[in-house]
Parts: sequence; structure tokens; C-alpha cells
Amino acid sequence: MNETVSNWAVHAFADGELSGTEKANVEALLQGDEAARAVLAAVLQQNTALHQVYDNVLQEPVPPRLRAAAQPPRRLSGSRALIAASMAGFLALGGALGYFAADHLAKYQAFELPQIAYLAHQTFASEVKHPVEVAAAEQDHLQKWLSKRVGQQIKIPDLTAQGYTLLGGRLLAESEGPAGQLMYETADKQRLTVFLTENAGGVESALRLEQHGNLVTCYWRDGKLAMAVTSALPRDDMMNLARSIYDKMEAKS
Amino acid sequence: MPQDFSTRIIAEVPHLRRFARGLCGDASLADDLVQDCLERSLKKQHLYDIHRPLRAWLYAILRNIHVSQWRRASQFGVMTDVSDLGEQQPSVAPLQEQNLSIMLITQALDKLPQQQREVLVMISLEEMSYKEAAEIIGVPIGTIMSRLSRARATLHQLLEERGTIHLRVVK
Repeated sequence: MNETVSNWAVHAFADGELSGTEKANVEALLQGDEAARAVLAAVLQQNTALHQVYDNVLQEPVPPRLRAAAQPPRRLSGSRALIAASMAGFLALGGALGYFAADHLAKYQAFELPQIAYLAHQTFASEVKHPVEVAAAEQDHLQKWLSKRVGQQIKIPDLTAQGYTLLGGRLLAESEGPAGQLMYETADKQRLTVFLTENAGGVESALRLEQHGNLVTCYWRDGKLAMAVTSALPRDDMMNLARSIYDKMEAKS
Repeated sequence: MPQDFSTRIIAEVPHLRRFARGLCGDASLADDLVQDCLERSLKKQHLYDIHRPLRAWLYAILRNIHVSQWRRASQFGVMTDVSDLGEQQPSVAPLQEQNLSIMLITQALDKLPQQQREVLVMISLEEMSYKEAAEIIGVPIGTIMSRLSRARATLHQLLEERGTIHLRVVK
């Protein structure tokens, strides 16, 4: 199959792009030109082979996760409203009051999550040599691996716009099951961790905040994942960061 | 109305899945791509012109996501190193006697440059017109034609090298 103009015409003929005189011209060419007929045969053979390889997927039922992805996110927009409400409350009542209100609400469902995430941050964020198990260079692998172990499709949020570069992540053993920790770093080596595990109970919660010394942990539970974001940042900054991570994760989870 | 839209995009899922598999080979990556595409289409629903074919609009969304992921992956220099996961599914579940040929075709596709592969998949598999493909990719029809003929020539050569050009096609 050489690349000549007549070849292109034969391709266009095979692809049903030609009509009238153009089509008649190629038909005439095919009559007298064995090479052109070979090109046509090869093109048609490739087309058939491609269909043979890929057409079976057309008969498969739509997988549940794709069916779910095609539904308007009603449930998520509900929890979004909760988050918005809790943040509005935060602003209206002031940091301390909002914090206590959130803390009060939290007691119930998410007793351990912020503590676990905080401890995991303390343990690993101070590591110089081995902050992560799988480095950012293998991000694709990390994402698949953690998704598989955590048991939920997770997404590694890109926080470049917020000034954080992904260092990588690790697998953790937690009371709720396997959990993942993603670690990020600013240009001046301030570290941030994202903790995620399966939301086994399925109970959703709003975005909340807990402080341990200078470390602030924002956490929430959506339908599938329980997540926490920890760093040494002012509370408002952490809430903003957590909200943007929530938005990035929401598409997947 | 939103419900209608969901029903309509679900109806397109089989074609989107085939397109995605043609583009990226790995079945679970392909479904991730379809999932992203569906989610994005819901968010951008207000941008959809109801007088135009829904499938072409979805194809364009899916292709854009794929290109951006592919660019990002090539910047990071890692595409797939997940051999130890043990969860990779082949992109096709072929009948036994077709196994070899199918494997060779998917391997040959993997060797095509991305720009050629997508044009080939759009035209030969998804049976788009040159014009539709040109609009989705954002290049002139002439570019589509030259990429297509290069893709076909390369594929032909790769298959010939592997001795499968006389693949028996049973339909």
C-alpha cells in the first residue's frame, strides 16, 4: 500500500466517501488496476478484522458503574448542599463555633477518621528518605493499586494549581480496612496528605474539621469513600483546599 | 428532561465503549474513559445542541479526555506498568481460534502512533465520515486522509510481518 493519490481515492471509496463521478472514476480504476484492487481488499480486510476484534463489546450489557455515571448526581448534589451549608455556618458563626458545631455533628459517624488520618500524617509526612511507597512517577500504577486495595475507584487529585506537587502514596492498614495515603509537597517542602478509605457504612457526612496542635484535618464521607486532608495550614485555607479536593474526587467517587 | 438525557446517553454506551477500546486497548482503562465521558457530558449537558447527533458529541468529549490523559501520561513517562496487579483484562474476549489473530491486531494497533490510531478507529471501526472525524479532531479533511492512509499502510505492514495478513474472516 503505497501512499499515492489514487490510494487515497481507493480509501475514500472503501469508506463510502465518494459519489457520482468520483465514485465512477475509482470503479473504473479498480477494473483495470490490480494494485488498486489489492489496496481495496486490504482496507476492507482491516475494517472487518477491527470489527471482529471490537464488536463484541456492543452486545455486552451496560456495566452498572457506567449506568450510574450517566445518572444526574442527585445524591452527590445533596451532600454538596450539606457541605455548602456547613461552610456557610462556618463563616457565619466564626471559626470556633463552626468547629464545635461540626465536631458535635461528627461524633456520631466519623469518630475515628480524623484521628487515623492525623496519625498517618504525623508518621509519614516527617519522613525524609521514604515519605511514600510508590512515587509520583508511577502515578498511574498508584491509582490502580490503591483503587484495587481500597476497593473503590479512587482518583489522585491534581493540586498543582494549589501549589502542591504529588510525591506519591502508600497503602495503610486501618480499622476500616485498607486505606491509602497520598502525599503532596509545596515548593518550600510543606507537606499535605490525603487519606482515603472505603466508606464501609455508606453513611455520608458533611465536610468537617479537626485540629491537633498546628495540624488541621478536614474530613468527610461520601457514598463510597471516607476521606481526610491534613496539613499545617490555617483552618480557612484547609477548608478551601479540602473543598477543591472534594470537587476533584466527586467526579469519580 | 435530565432523565431523558441520561437514557439517551446510556443508549450510546456500547458504541462509546467500543470506541474507547479501540483508542486505548485495555478494557478497564477504556471503561474509565467512558465513565469520565458520561460524567462530563452530564456537566456539559447545557452545551449540547439537540439538533446535532448525540453520539458524535459524546465521541468528541471522549476523544478530548483521552488526548489530555494521553498527553499527561506521556509527560510523566509512564503509561502502564501494572503488570503486577493481576487485574488487567484483555480488551477482547475472543473465541479460541481467533485468539492469535486478535492479539496480533491489538498489538499492531498499539504500535501505531496515537494520531494515526485514532483516525483509523474513527473511520474503520466507528465508521465516521471523514468530515465528522475532521471536526472532532480539529484538523482538515486532507489531514484525516493522510493519517488514515499512513495508519492503514503501517497496520498492513505490521500484520504482514507477523504473517497474519491472510487472516480468515468468519462473519
